[in-house]
Amino acid sequence: MPEVSKMKKPDVKLVLLGDMNVGKTSLLHRYTERKFKDTVSTVGGAFFLKQWGPYNISIWDTAGREQFHGLGSMYCRGAAAVILTYDVSNWQSLAELEERFLSLTDTANQDCIYALVGNKADLTDPRAQLSQDSDEASKDRMDCGEERTETQVLSACPTPPASPASLSGITLGKQVTPEDAMALYGRILRYKGLEEKSSLPAEKMCFETSAKTGYNVDNLFEALFDLVLPSILRNKNENQQSPTVDLEECRGAKRGRPGCC
Amino acid sequence: MERDNHQVGETEGVKICDPPCESNPPADTLATSLSLLGNHMFPYPLERKHRSAVEEEPADSLSDVTAEEESLDGEPHSHQVTTLETEETESSECQNNVSTQQLDIENEDTATDNERSDSGEFVVTMLAKAKLEEQGLGVKGGSSPLLEAETQEPPAFMSHRDEDVTADSWRQHRKHVFVLSEAGKPIYSRYGSEEALSSTMGVMMALVSFVQSGDNIIRSIYSDGHTVVFLQKGPLVLVCVSSSRQTEQQLRGELLYVYYQIISMLTQASISRIFEHKKNYDLRRLLAGSEKILDGLLNLVDSDPCFLLAAVQCLPLASSLRDNISQILQKAITPNLVFSILIANNQLLTIVQEKTVIEDSRLEPADIHLLLNLIGASSAFQAGEIWTPICLPLFNPDCYFYAYISYLDPPECTVCLLLLSTDKEAFYAVAECKRKIEEAMMAQNSLSLIAKVQSYSVSQVGVSDLRHFMYKPFDVPDTYQQLTQFTSPEMEAPYSSEEEKMRLLDLYRYMHSRIHSTSRPLKLIYHVAENETLLAWVTSKFELYTCFSPLVTKACAITAITKLLRWIKKEEDRLFIRYPPKYSTTPNPSKSSRGGKSDQQDSTDNGFLSLL
Ligand SMILES: Nc1nc2c(ncn2[C@@H]2O[C@H](COP(=O)(O)OP(=O)(O)OP(=O)(O)O)[C@@H](O)[C@H]2O)c(=O)[nH]1
Ligand SMILES: [Mg+2]
Repeated sequence: MPEVSKMKKPDVKLVLLGDMNVGKTSLLHRYTERKFKDTVSTVGGAFFLKQWGPYNISIWDTAGREQFHGLGSMYCRGAAAVILTYDVSNWQSLAELEERFLSLTDTANQDCIYALVGNKADLTDPRAQLSQDSDEASKDRMDCGEERTETQVLSACPTPPASPASLSGITLGKQVTPEDAMALYGRILRYKGLEEKSSLPAEKMCFETSAKTGYNVDNLFEALFDLVLPSILRNKNENQQSPTVDLEECRGAKRGRPGCC
Repeated sequence: MERDNHQVGETEGVKICDPPCESNPPADTLATSLSLLGNHMFPYPLERKHRSAVEEEPADSLSDVTAEEESLDGEPHSHQVTTLETEETESSECQNNVSTQQLDIENEDTATDNERSDSGEFVVTMLAKAKLEEQGLGVKGGSSPLLEAETQEPPAFMSHRDEDVTADSWRQHRKHVFVLSEAGKPIYSRYGSEEALSSTMGVMMALVSFVQSGDNIIRSIYSDGHTVVFLQKGPLVLVCVSSSRQTEQQLRGELLYVYYQIISMLTQASISRIFEHKKNYDLRRLLAGSEKILDGLLNLVDSDPCFLLAAVQCLPLASSLRDNISQILQKAITPNLVFSILIANNQLLTIVQEKTVIEDSRLEPADIHLLLNLIGASSAFQAGEIWTPICLPLFNPDCYFYAYISYLDPPECTVCLLLLSTDKEAFYAVAECKRKIEEAMMAQNSLSLIAKVQSYSVSQVGVSDLRHFMYKPFDVPDTYQQLTQFTSPEMEAPYSSEEEKMRLLDLYRYMHSRIHSTSRPLKLIYHVAENETLLAWVTSKFELYTCFSPLVTKACAITAITKLLRWIKKEEDRLFIRYPPKYSTTPNPSKSSRGGKSDQQDSTDNGFLSLL
C-alpha cells in the first residue's frame, strides 16, 4: 500500500490491544490485504493508515507481549476507538484484557468507544469456518467441503508457543462465550465511569471474528469506522476550521466500501 | 544430550532445596555437580530405557538444585577438580565411550574421581522433580516433548522448539545454546523446548554455583568432540555445547552476542531489577515471542563472518550514489534523532550519526548486527510503520532508543529505513522524516538505482587462483569515529552449497583462532588444507583471510595478495563507507550523549516491571 503511506494527516485513531497471539495483526491484515498469512509476533507497535472514503484512519497494531506493556498507553493516547481483542478458545486472553490492558486505555479520548473482539471464532463456531471472503477463499471451499473443516481445526490445534497466558496453565483451552464478553463489556463501562444506558450497548460492541476465514472482520472494522465518524468529523472541523459538516460526504463514506486500499 | 527418561526408583536421601541454601554451599559437592552435568550431557545407558511415572506432589520449583550433603557421603572432598570421567555425548549406547574430560576452572589444577552411583541417583531425583514442575506449569505449545513421548505420539509437525530432546537427532546438533537464570530457571534453548530441558539447565546451574562457591568461575569443559562453554552475565548464565571445532574464545564471543540480543530487548538494568525483585522470575514471560530473534541470531552467527570479525559489511555502492543518499538522510532530521540507517537486502547502505552522540562513544558493529537481526526476524508484516523501543547494548546497556522501522519499497520490502530517536513520543515527527526521505529518493530515482546493486564476485579481482577472501582494514587515527568494516565477495563455487560454505567458514574460524590465539598469536599463516589453501595475514593496517585453490604455490599466493590489496585500494570508495556522515539534532550537546543518558534516553522498562 505505498500510496497510502503518503502522509495525510490522520483524521482519527484506532488501537488494537490484546494479549500476544490472539490475532490482532492477522485481523488487520485480513481487513487491509484480504488475506490470512503467517505473522510474526509484533514488536512495539505498527502504524497503518487506512483510507476510508475521504477519511484517513490511523490504526495502531500493538504488541501483546509483556515486554512492551507500558507502551500501550502511549499508543492509546487520543484514540477514538480501542479494539480489545481476545482469543475465543483461550479464557486467559479475556482475563488479560481486564488485568493488563484496560488500564492502558486511560490515555484514550474521553468519548473513546470500546469494542470487545473474540477472534479465532473458526475454532469454536462452525458458522465462522465458512470463509467470508467472496473474492479469494470461496474457490478452495468448493472443492473440499468436509475435509477442509477438519484440517482447519487440526492445524489450529498446536497452540502457538509460550503465550504468557498459556504459562498459567489451568485456564488454557476453556472457551469464552459471548455472554462472558458482554459481562466484561459492562465492567469496562463501569471502570470508565460510564452509564450503561447512555453508552453503546454490549450487543453492538462485542464481536466474534475469524481472521482466518474472514468471518465478521469487515463488519467489525466498518461498524467501528461508522461509530467514530463523529470524532472524524469533529477532528476534520478542527483541522480545517470549517464550521459546517457536509452530510453528503459522510454518507458517501459509509457506502463507499474501502476496497483493497 | 540429556536423557530425561530415568528410572526414578532410588531417589531417597536426596533433596532439592528451595529457596537456595546460600548459607553453606557444601564445598565437597563440586565433584558431584560436575558428574551431574556429565550425566546430563552424557547420559547413562542403564537408566535410559525407563520412564516411570512420578507420584504427583506439589511441584517444587527447580529454582535451586543444591544438593544436601547426606546423600553424597563418600564423595571426594575437593573443590579443585579439573578432570572427571563421564561418557560421550553422541553415543546413545555409550558404555564403551568413556572419555576423559577436562574441566577448565580458573586458578585450579587438580584431579579427582567421581562416584557414579550417587550422582546418578541425584540426577534421577532432579529429573523427577523437573518433570513434576513441567506438568504443573502447563507446557508451552501444550506438549512438552517429554510428556508427548510418554503417550508415544510423535508430533505431526516439528519446529526446533518441538524437538524431542531425548532423540539422537537432538544431541547431534552442532551447537546448542542454553540461557538460564541464576536460580536455574530455563530461559532459552536453541533446540527443544525449555521446559523439557529444565532439568538439564538446573544441573548446569548447580555446576556453575558450586564452582562459584569456591570463588572460582567455571569457564569450559572439554570432552572429545564437544566443548561446553559457560558465560555468566549478571543474573543470566549462558551455556554453549558445541561439536564444532571453534575455540572457547570464539564460542564465548557468540554467547556474548546472545546475551546482548536479550539486553537489546529488555535492557541490562531491567533484567537486574527483575531478578533483584524476584530471584526465580520466569524471564520467558518477557521473552515470549522473541525466540525467533534469538534463533535467527544463532543462525546468523553460524553463517555470517561479520560476527567472527566484529565488523560490518556494507553494500558495495558507487560512492557518488552513497553520498547522495547519505545527504538525503542528513537533511531529514528532527530533534532527538540520533541515527539514520538505510539497509538494502540486509546490508548496510549508509548510516548517518548525530554528532554529539558519537563524540564520546562510537557505534559498535555488534550493535548494528543485533539491530539488523532484530529487524530481519520481526518484520514479516511489512506494510506498516513500526515504532518500538530498542536498546543498543554496547552503546548503552541500560537505556532504550526508539526505533522507527519502515520499508521504502513495498511490497518487495528490501530497502529498510531505520531511524533511532531518544524520544519515546517522537513517532509522528520521525515518520515525517521518512516522508521527506521517501520524496527525495523518489525525485532522485534512488530506489531503482539501489535495486540494481549487488554484492560482488571474486572474479572482479582478476586473480585466477583466488577463490574467496575477507578483508578488514583497521581504524586509522583520523577516522577514529568510523565504523569497523570488512569486505568480502559472494561465496561462489565450490562454496555454493550450505555445507561447503560452512566448511570454508570453519576454516576461516580456525585461521582466526590461530591469529588471535592468546597464548601464541601469529601474524601470518599459510595453511594447506585438503581442498584448498588458506593464507591469513594480520598487519597494523588490516586483517586478511584468503582462500586459494589447493594447487597454488606460496609464491603465487603472495603475488595474488599483492594484487588483491591493490584492487581493494582501488575499489575502496565503493566497498566501504569512507566517512560516515553526521548531523546535529540536539542543541544541548550533553543531552543525548552517553553521559547524559538519563536526561533524554529512556531508562525505563516499558512498564513491564509493574507486572511483576
Ligand atoms: N485459527 C485461527 N488462527 C488465527 C486467527 N487469527 C490469528 N491466528 C493465528 O494466531 C497466531 C497469532 O496471530 P497474530 O495475528 O500474530 O497475533 P497478535 O495478536 O498480533 O500477536 P502479537 O503481535 O504477539 O501481540 C498466528 O499463528 C495466526 O496464524 C484466526 O482467526 N483463527
Ligand atoms: Mg501482532
